[in-house]
Amino acid sequence: MSLRQSLSVAALSALTTFSFIGTSTNPLYAQETPVTGGTLVYLEQQSHTNLYPPAGGFYPNGGILNQITDKLTYQNPRTLEIEPWVAESWSINSDATEYTFKIRPGITFSDGTPVDAKAVARNFDTFGLGNPALKQPVSEVINNYVRSEVIDPLTVKFYFNAPSPGFLQGTSVIGSGLVALSTLDLPFDQLGDATKIIGSGPFIVTQEVPGKELTLVARKEYNWAPVKSAHQGRAYLDEIKYVITPEDSVRIGALVAGQAGFIRQLQAYDEKRVSDQKFEIYAAPTRGVNNSIAFRPDNPLVSDVRVRKALAYATDVQDIVDTLFSENYPVATSVIASTAQGYVNLSAKLQFDPQKAAALLDEAGWKVGADNIRQKDGQKLVLTTYESLPQPQNKETLQLIAQQWSQVGVKLNVLAGDAGSRVVDSLDPEKTAIIPAMVGRADPDVIKSNYYPTNRNSLLQKGGVSTKVKSFEDTELNNLLTAIARETDKTKRLELVGQVQNYLLDQAYVIPIFEEPQVFAGAPWVKGISFEAVGRPSFYDTWLEKR
Amino acid sequence: MSKHLISHLFQSVLTLWAAFTIAFVLLQALPGDAVLIKFLASDFGLTPEQITELQQTYGVNLPLWQKYFHELGAIFTGNLGFSVQAGLPVSQVIATNLPPTLLLASLGFTAAIVLALSVAFLSAFTCFSWLRQALHALPSLFVSVPVFWLGIVLIQIVSFQLGLIPVINPGHWEGLILPTIALAIPISAPIAQILIRNIEATLLLPHVAVARAKGASHVWVLWHHVARNAVLPTLTMAGLLFGELLAGAVVTETVFGLSGLGSLTQQAVNNQDTAVLKAIVIISAAIFITINLIVDLLYPILDPRLRVAQEARP
Repeated sequence: MSLRQSLSVAALSALTTFSFIGTSTNPLYAQETPVTGGTLVYLEQQSHTNLYPPAGGFYPNGGILNQITDKLTYQNPRTLEIEPWVAESWSINSDATEYTFKIRPGITFSDGTPVDAKAVARNFDTFGLGNPALKQPVSEVINNYVRSEVIDPLTVKFYFNAPSPGFLQGTSVIGSGLVALSTLDLPFDQLGDATKIIGSGPFIVTQEVPGKELTLVARKEYNWAPVKSAHQGRAYLDEIKYVITPEDSVRIGALVAGQAGFIRQLQAYDEKRVSDQKFEIYAAPTRGVNNSIAFRPDNPLVSDVRVRKALAYATDVQDIVDTLFSENYPVATSVIASTAQGYVNLSAKLQFDPQKAAALLDEAGWKVGADNIRQKDGQKLVLTTYESLPQPQNKETLQLIAQQWSQVGVKLNVLAGDAGSRVVDSLDPEKTAIIPAMVGRADPDVIKSNYYPTNRNSLLQKGGVSTKVKSFEDTELNNLLTAIARETDKTKRLELVGQVQNYLLDQAYVIPIFEEPQVFAGAPWVKGISFEAVGRPSFYDTWLEKR
Repeated sequence: MSKHLISHLFQSVLTLWAAFTIAFVLLQALPGDAVLIKFLASDFGLTPEQITELQQTYGVNLPLWQKYFHELGAIFTGNLGFSVQAGLPVSQVIATNLPPTLLLASLGFTAAIVLALSVAFLSAFTCFSWLRQALHALPSLFVSVPVFWLGIVLIQIVSFQLGLIPVINPGHWEGLILPTIALAIPISAPIAQILIRNIEATLLLPHVAVARAKGASHVWVLWHHVARNAVLPTLTMAGLLFGELLAGAVVTETVFGLSGLGSLTQQAVNNQDTAVLKAIVIISAAIFITINLIVDLLYPILDPRLRVAQEARP
């Protein structure tokens, strides 16, 4: 990357960050006095799937959980520092294997039960160990967890069998939202019913029409916002109506026509239409693993690093962003976003060079056949993948990549597929040699979340959920990932994150495409929208200006 | 008459059984299952053992024949199974979704009939040949309009541009206006086509010529001698159009964000919620059969010739 390119990338990321910060520190906004009351109509593209808090990674789930649950700690989205919330103070031992939290008194769940040491302990026992009897899985943000201990009614201690430096940040994420014991008593498959999720947050779900609509009502007695929050007491809004509106044109039309106040998933091609009408676009960074495609080296077609490198060289990421996206989608310069912790600029390793790609494929023995598709030992270099529905314009992105790869003699089939085939085939390296992936979380652990076999296992190594993986395992990578989860020294931990980024690109396991934002649009009369560290909206500060 | 009814009922039960069996076989052929689709997502982090357990809870792994007879037996006791996606009994899911769709379908069907009758009789009444030709062309236009496109255009113009009816959070009846129109227009087309053809054919019949010769006016002839004869064949269409109404409801409910059997079908297909899909197939088949039965029974009442023929039978 030239100096000019680097500067523009830096300027872009700064712009994104500032536009994001601008929503909460804008002096004009600061002078306005919030009004209490009113209903915010929020249009969501997809329906939620399961509201077990650790399932909050899926944006439609997280968007609800963030309003109805509180977290032990609060990660300031501007500084990324961890601040008190339900826990008023905490202490950590020197090797990060023991965490003690002092709970703020007087907090209650919406069913009236107290948020005390016992409830917090039970929440983290469930998130840290899972509950096999109720099929509640382990949270991906908690590593090396052993047990909890209730010291006194408002003090709880957690023990780990190995250093768990990411745990403090892990207590601040949506996936660690605290829920009442009655919610934790329900089997996992019943936690899709939003009305059964009892939290201590500023809103309560009072009604759900499955797959269609949710009504959230403000809790009048709510008085335990993060201590550093300027706004204390109940939420300004009386009610939030979540309406599932899958059609892009209906969501935007309804917003512009004044029938809705806030919408999620504004596509890049619609941004101009919204900004022309003087409506606000919110592009919140997700600070995690970039929108990328991951290889499954267990598949013999992509087991040769030269083939993977060739395909990385054959991918013109700038062209993808220019063609399909906007300035809210910065071109990726590493495996993780430039706003992520431990980011290293590796744009030198991410070059578009079709000649080099062709040379590498030749070297690996893949020769162009009569139909312009490369072949070796009678086998054609034809790869298959499924589009990922939650990612913006993913089908179009993959189709553009397919076009680019066809220039070097590689065919990529992009399937939409039915849900069953998509789920089953995505776990079979033979059927999906590459897969689109991204994950947001503002902690160095995020990189482990995406690649470690027992987490999301994007590369499909042995040891994960898939039973179809024959032999692929990269112990060097896994050791580095485990080290990130265990290293207590912050500088060393971030160095390890840098090493993993280099390793993933040197092995060409990943082709990063862009830093994925969560793009929302809001009406000018909707004020005080804020986002948690990875771009899920919080409506606690939101209020409606008189129209 | 009662013999006629009994044989009809017997056929109906047979049809329901066939519908269930075909749905069962076809849904079995799909790869994966609802449990995998819902719970295999990587951010849930369930282990393969936990997923197998969940599959066992929902009976996904039972042998085929056992599953078939178990489900068939359960239906007779009114147990439609459990929806993996909603985490609720299917009967409860259907109970919340069926009434809105029945209401939308009835409104859509009534509007389609009114539209078709208006087009057909207006074309018969008019003395301007250009208008008649234009009206004759309307059904072809209507039938070729995709419901999806029509829905979006109606929303964009009526709701977003003119601001007449809100699409998000409308009042109960207000919210049904645009979906009814979107559903009615394509459905009205085949009815209008048949009506127009039948009116023209009936106008050429000798009894109409006799009535005219006696000095009856055009309106009187249409009303007394043509209407009833022309409407009869469209009744048969009504039964057949129910399928299209349901298909239309899938699209209409999705575009307008309404809850109902249509959007439930769409979600169940997306998530391979087979218990829900089987219940929808059975209910649709049952409604289809009932409507056709009613049509069959209505025929002799509307057409005296059939009544005479039935009475003349030994």
